[in-house]
Amino acid sequence: MSDEQSATGWHNYNKIKYVFGLVFVLALPWLPINQFYIFIAQTFCYTAIAVIGLNLLLGLSGQMSLGQAGFYALGAYGSALTSLHFGWPIMLSIVFGTMVAAFGGLVVGTYALRTRGLYLAMTTLAFGYVIDILAQRWVDLTGGTMGLIGISQFEGFGPVSGAAMLLYVSGLSLLIAQLISDYINETRIGRGLRAIRESEVFAASVGIQTHIWKTLIFSFSAALAGLGGALFVHQSGYVGSDAFTVRLSIALLIAIVLGGLGSKSGPIIGTLILLGIVELIAGVHKYGLIIYGSILLVVLLAFPKGASGILESILGLIRKKDTMVAASDIDNASEDIYFALNDLEQQSTSITVQEVSKSYSGVKAVDNVTVEIKKGEVHGLIGPNGAGKSTVINMIAGIYVPDNGKILLGGKDISGYSVAKRAQSGLVRTFQNLQLIEGVSVLDNVLLGIQPQRSELKCFFYWLLGRPTEIPEKKRALSILRFLGILHLVDRLPSELPYGHRKLLELARAIAQGPRVLLLDEPVAGMNSQEAQEIASVITRLRDRGVTILLVEHNMEFVMSICDQISVLNFGQLIAKGTPPEIQSNADVIKAYFGTGKES
Amino acid sequence: MMKIKFKKLGVILAFTAGLAVAGPSSAQVKVGVIQGLSGPPAIVDFGESYLQGIKLALKDYEARGGKTKIELIVYDDEANPQRAVSLAQRLIQNDKVSAIIGTVSSGNVMAMAPIIQQAGVPLVAGPSIATGITQKFINENPSFIFRCSMVEQFQIDQMLDWGVKNFQRIGLVHSTTGYGSFAAKEIIEGLKQRGVTLVAIEAAAPGVNDLTPQMVKLKDADAQLVLNFHESFELPFRPMPRIGYKPVVAGNWGLSSQKVVEIVGKDAIEGTVMGQALDITTPRAVEFDAKAKKEFGSAYRWPVVAALGYDAGQIVFAAIDNVGKSDSSAIRDALENIEGVQAVSATPSKPFSSKDHECLDMEHVFLGVWQDGVVKRLNQQ
Amino acid sequence: MTVANLVQIISSGLAMGSIYILVALGLYITHLTVHKVNFGQGDFLMVATFLMLGTRAAGLPLLVCIVLTLIILALMGWLLDVIAIRPLDRKKSLKIGAFSWILTTAGIALILQNVIELGFGKTAHYSPPLFSTGRDHIVQVFGAGLFFEEILVILAATIIVLGFYIFMFRTRWGKSIQAVAFNPEAAKLLGVNTTLVKTGVFVIASLLAAVGGMLLGPLIAINAHIGLVLTIKALIVAAIGGFANPVGILVGGILFGVLEAFSNYFDSSFGDLYPLLAALIIIAIWPSGLFSERHADVR
Repeated sequence: MSDEQSATGWHNYNKIKYVFGLVFVLALPWLPINQFYIFIAQTFCYTAIAVIGLNLLLGLSGQMSLGQAGFYALGAYGSALTSLHFGWPIMLSIVFGTMVAAFGGLVVGTYALRTRGLYLAMTTLAFGYVIDILAQRWVDLTGGTMGLIGISQFEGFGPVSGAAMLLYVSGLSLLIAQLISDYINETRIGRGLRAIRESEVFAASVGIQTHIWKTLIFSFSAALAGLGGALFVHQSGYVGSDAFTVRLSIALLIAIVLGGLGSKSGPIIGTLILLGIVELIAGVHKYGLIIYGSILLVVLLAFPKGASGILESILGLIRKKDTMVAASDIDNASEDIYFALNDLEQQSTSITVQEVSKSYSGVKAVDNVTVEIKKGEVHGLIGPNGAGKSTVINMIAGIYVPDNGKILLGGKDISGYSVAKRAQSGLVRTFQNLQLIEGVSVLDNVLLGIQPQRSELKCFFYWLLGRPTEIPEKKRALSILRFLGILHLVDRLPSELPYGHRKLLELARAIAQGPRVLLLDEPVAGMNSQEAQEIASVITRLRDRGVTILLVEHNMEFVMSICDQISVLNFGQLIAKGTPPEIQSNADVIKAYFGTGKES
Repeated sequence: MMKIKFKKLGVILAFTAGLAVAGPSSAQVKVGVIQGLSGPPAIVDFGESYLQGIKLALKDYEARGGKTKIELIVYDDEANPQRAVSLAQRLIQNDKVSAIIGTVSSGNVMAMAPIIQQAGVPLVAGPSIATGITQKFINENPSFIFRCSMVEQFQIDQMLDWGVKNFQRIGLVHSTTGYGSFAAKEIIEGLKQRGVTLVAIEAAAPGVNDLTPQMVKLKDADAQLVLNFHESFELPFRPMPRIGYKPVVAGNWGLSSQKVVEIVGKDAIEGTVMGQALDITTPRAVEFDAKAKKEFGSAYRWPVVAALGYDAGQIVFAAIDNVGKSDSSAIRDALENIEGVQAVSATPSKPFSSKDHECLDMEHVFLGVWQDGVVKRLNQQ
Repeated sequence: MTVANLVQIISSGLAMGSIYILVALGLYITHLTVHKVNFGQGDFLMVATFLMLGTRAAGLPLLVCIVLTLIILALMGWLLDVIAIRPLDRKKSLKIGAFSWILTTAGIALILQNVIELGFGKTAHYSPPLFSTGRDHIVQVFGAGLFFEEILVILAATIIVLGFYIFMFRTRWGKSIQAVAFNPEAAKLLGVNTTLVKTGVFVIASLLAAVGGMLLGPLIAINAHIGLVLTIKALIVAAIGGFANPVGILVGGILFGVLEAFSNYFDSSFGDLYPLLAALIIIAIWPSGLFSERHADVR
């Protein structure tokens, strides 16, 4: 049986629910029901589209946007004005509105590169507010609160009414948006976004160009909000600025929080619940804000995974994702060990830290340090606390910029490279405080490091048809896990693992990145001697495969046993360099660690 | 245990079945009301006052022994046009009303009117004042859109006529909303036709807290009459004492709200002129005023708007009673032909015709002026 | 422009700027200590304005009104921390949890708006002046008439900022706060009650909002929804001034307020947008404060 057919088959086609949804939407106008429900269905569709956008932005990549209403407005007015004043056909106006919003997202997204967290929340809030005010006061353009009337609406087509047409267009758009969102969620793009959410430095260190990704996801999310807004104005042929206040941004946030941030079905469920609440409280309207505020509090405090999280626990779904692998794949993995790790020997290269220095506010943290590491060498960097080891590692990784000096990778000057580019050039690192994506499986964490083998578009179509995706990458990941002895943990979440296995997982990811040079930042910190042994043996096996390794450690036994060469730092300066026996007997080193006998 | 349960269930079922069969003994007609009851304070003032009038009208209708049973279904459109539209849909399709009254924002009315017209349900718009509301539909055959409220064009025209006659230097302060900008346009146009230019035009955002800069500019331009078309009607008055500026102020009927005089003070508001449609000195107005105060207490603060709401309500209820059942088309006809209306406001006894769906026409609108804490009819020599 | 007009505009600008500074200081102190702010800070101020309105209307003596307002706001600050902020510290697993306090504090802001609306209705209210009866207490300065209340606001804000500065940098409590801000674990080891400090800063922030509300109420028309705009502006002032330094906030607030007043004078329709846009551009070019040297968030 070929690889493609092994894991999931046609009978397991989980996209079937979307087919049902589509049929439902198509059938709705023909059912003998109150026409009002068509209206609600339309509202559901275009609102859900906007919520999907917010889910990708906030839920997956962790960027807080409090101003989605602004993009919604851009889409709305973009579409309204072109259809009203230029007489454009309705579909063209909608596309145009979406593009205006996408452009707005690009601008704000670029701004977002300079800000994070609180600042981002604040600037998106201000952005939404500015758009609201402009819409309200630029009366000549937008009609202000009185608004614009007579905007074109969908015309009927034979037996299909205009309202049904809008429903179909919105429903189809929603379907496409949901499919794209699911695809992103389950595959490489989603992994990358989640990495960005965890920590941007971490994401960069696995080769993700965070600037580009962040801007693009902002723009995409804005486009979806804009599409929602554009469909909205054609629903009643009317748009007034009151629709775009901060209340809308908050409503969208409530929808996704209710549904479950970062989940696949969150937007749909959340929008359903939100609309349900809106209709229900039409009566007790005067308590509306209390209800919304309380929802935010209760959901975030008690049910942070939202409704979809609750559903998952009720249905007792084990994390059944497409990453679930068949037993055959696991067995096959053993044959590929050599395949995955063969390249390492060929790739590995030398690295040189040449006369680097770094000062912070007058204090020289690193002073003219040179470390040369040959290809295939295991090099230890030690020194007392505060010696400057982490500064050196961070400079090699590209997080800090040295004041002088150069970093050479295989003879090539990479001093000007960004963190992501260094990672892509084969400079791979692990982190002292462990950086993993907590919410996804072990396998996904390892996959994060692997470069894709197939074009994204091809992958999408395979996924759409329900075929298994990312097969070569998964096989590679499995073989690495086997190499490290943690293959049996493939479906677990990192939070379920003991500390030692988490360290191994991070190591697995690092190996998955195909390192030419491996930087290990305190690989055995916080481990008991048995766990340290495991790591030590892994590193030995890596060394045997010819990987160049630079490690920073405090555990002397470990360092002495495994390193070919050791450099010692103290107070930012290199005080000794040599083989373990040489270092152990070096007077300066002993003095640095223990002081001279006379001082005690 | 189970037996008892079944018995109870049986009784409940029978009861509800009985109710369903019995139904409303006489025909029950539902009237939908959409008003702005939350959101910007200016809107809320209008919405709540108009609704007070409608409720009082229903009470009087029942007290007078109206034969047809009428039920009011009231929704808050939150000054949000999307909401107004979806509420109109709901009233028509879900609640199956036979007539609709509302709302405050002219934008909201314009958004929902086409839907209501298409559904063949009569709409009495109010208290929205945008000039073209009924005009837009009057040529429909038939038009279902009526209005019982002030018409902006009328009060502006009256005000400009009077202003141009009595003042050399006229200034304008308006808000940057659709309402304010539209009024500003009408004023500038209207003055141009009368051969006059404004000495200063100041604009301010609707939610702004302080109009000092604008008033300073008006003072610098030495405007003797300031036309006030900002939704926060009291705001232009606040900086006046400190900048030592006391022009005559004229504006739309918003200036006749009790709230304005409470905030600004009797002395500061003395002599302020506004569009009016309620002569508080007529016997019917006096009676209405007393009734409203008794019914709503201090919540009743805007006689003219409440009076128009009352008249809208009584006209609709009378039309329904004439028809006797929930037939929207017949009710529309009854509305158009209604006679003998004993209006509290200046609405005439036969307000509508096939070519005129406005309660108030040009001749029914006049100017009022604050005198000694009460709004009286302005005597023009 | 005459001198009188100039003085008029500058004084309005200083008055509003002072309010922004008071609110921004509250944001600053919580951000410094626990890296979180109350996204409903403006709404807290709004509640204070209504508390003053209500208690004064009930005829209570001024001092009682002030004390009551302070106590209630302090209580609200404590509750905010306990309900909306602390519980999230325990939910580290969901990474959005790093910023879900933004949404929980915003949720509380919504609730506050609704409560006030239920209590006081939706129309605008005008609060009586603090120390004068009627609105005729006018002081002539360089030919411009200034409301006494405005001068009071500027004076009060200046005194409070000075007092705040002394508190933060000269008193022991201030130093405890800074210790917790710098390194909570170390502070604990040094005997500082970090829990108390972490809750305390929210109480202080709420008290600052309370004072802001007391001073602002008589100056403007108040309604249940004035909070959001204040929050946005205060956040921006705190950001320009750099979340790191109260003096920076003072300067930022004055600049923002005065710029806003001038901009409203020259363009009354869009005036208040210009300072916002200018501030956003400034933050884009110099995102100072939070961003010292490329701070690696790996530690």
